[in-house]
Amino acid sequence: MKGKTMSIDKLSSINIAEANKPRKNNALLIVLILGGIFFFFSLSQLPIDYSKLIEGSAKFLSTLTVMLPPDMTYWREVLLAALESLQVAIVGTVIAIILGLLLSFPAAENLTPHPSIAWGIKGFASFLRAIPTLIWALIFIVAVGMGPFTGILAITVGATGMLIKVFSQSIEEIDEGVIEAMKATGASWTSIVIHGVIPTVLTAFLAWCILRLEGDIAESTILGAVGAGGIGWELMHAMRLYKFDQAFFVALVIFAMVFSVELVTNRLKMRLKTK
Amino acid sequence: MNAVDVQKARKIKKLQTWLIVLGIVVITIWSGIETDFSFESLIFGSREAATFVFTDLLPPDFTVITGLIKPALDTIYMSFVAMVIGAVIAAFLSVFTAATTSPHPALQVFMRAYSSLFRNIPVLIWTILLTASFGLGALVGTLSLIMVSVGVLTRAFAEVLEEIDEGQVEAIRATGANYFKVLAQGVLPQFSPGFFGWSLYMLEINVRASTIIGMVGGGGLGFVIQSNIKLFQYGQVSMAIILVLVIVLLTEWLTNQIRERII
Repeated sequence: MKGKTMSIDKLSSINIAEANKPRKNNALLIVLILGGIFFFFSLSQLPIDYSKLIEGSAKFLSTLTVMLPPDMTYWREVLLAALESLQVAIVGTVIAIILGLLLSFPAAENLTPHPSIAWGIKGFASFLRAIPTLIWALIFIVAVGMGPFTGILAITVGATGMLIKVFSQSIEEIDEGVIEAMKATGASWTSIVIHGVIPTVLTAFLAWCILRLEGDIAESTILGAVGAGGIGWELMHAMRLYKFDQAFFVALVIFAMVFSVELVTNRLKMRLKTK
Repeated sequence: MNAVDVQKARKIKKLQTWLIVLGIVVITIWSGIETDFSFESLIFGSREAATFVFTDLLPPDFTVITGLIKPALDTIYMSFVAMVIGAVIAAFLSVFTAATTSPHPALQVFMRAYSSLFRNIPVLIWTILLTASFGLGALVGTLSLIMVSVGVLTRAFAEVLEEIDEGQVEAIRATGANYFKVLAQGVLPQFSPGFFGWSLYMLEINVRASTIIGMVGGGGLGFVIQSNIKLFQYGQVSMAIILVLVIVLLTEWLTNQIRERII
């Protein structure tokens, strides 16, 4: 579709854009209708007991009163667990960045030594990405046991999958001319990458790394729920013992963690943008 | 600024960059030591994981697929229902959250804090917190997905509203159109690409999240995976993981198709 409109002259391409509008509106209408039907179908299929919804809401309000004030007796343990989550996220993300960097260059279509290599790496990456981190954590728990190391492995795997994808996309967006010009001077593959590609994509890469660290910190707080170390376990533990006030404190710490990371990364992203 | 100054500034900038790099390296090494990380254990761990995947997890047990269809469908239903309800609630709330449309600045600050609370507590944590009141099952899963959907979408929609071109709205108002006509002709066309784009994105996130909330009692495929791992039924586990893979990739493909056609 895009190629077609490009080849025709400007005037008629405007006409096509105009003609596209009602078609898009029709598609929108169809999607809305189908979506609406599917919504009510889903609702009817879900095994939801609505009396439980009301009952649960009342119960939740009463647990809210038990949750207040938050019990901070175990603040040392909770904060140490939070720190562990943070460390797991940092180590996992850094390893993933290294792996992502190594694999994204051969995965980018304009740099790959062979198209099939690019295809293979990308397929592998989308496989890693499509399986949620928590499932990776479960697999690694069975394989290497519980603890923060398992968390690092799970974070690494998920983050590597995403970083290969976005890094190689950034590389593919590079102006072909740059690479062609360097090839013409007889530069080797590695020197093309180091002198031609990396300086161009550096900002984009940094932005992706920051985004990934943000995501990984949020992920690392939940890994503990299945036993892969960190603050999630503290929450599970407190809830199992029905210590709602302790659980509330843990939840507050998790919120503070994720929220402050969001604040910091937003500021970093702004700075990268203005650069 | 003369050449010497420029050079000086450049030097300082370079020093700054190296300090940041050094800082990152130090933090990483410290984190690695604290979490007992080592490269031997990394190699050992990957080998163990590979052995586990290839000898225990694979091959998947295809005979159990009929039993897995119900939880797999539940996963899809939960994420879709949560996305729709979340989008509707968020569209309503975003009007009060956006700087341009909020009736009062105090309300705007309150709504921002509120949506950030919903957004920054991960779905799984919501599920854990809610199971105590709502019991186990699809209800808890759907509720926690709705919470996070509302949090993410309220902020996203508010940003879309803030970016709306006031000029177009003014122009329609100038023709003497009433409030609803201004909404329909001036605001809605500018709002709808962002609305659908973000909602589809939310659907993708919900589908991923809903495959795992079962692990802490939210129903769906996560529950199957968790309980079968405890029972050492690895053939069933890998079958369920394959279904997760299929659902996630299929949703991504479908949302891309819809995105291309309507936005």
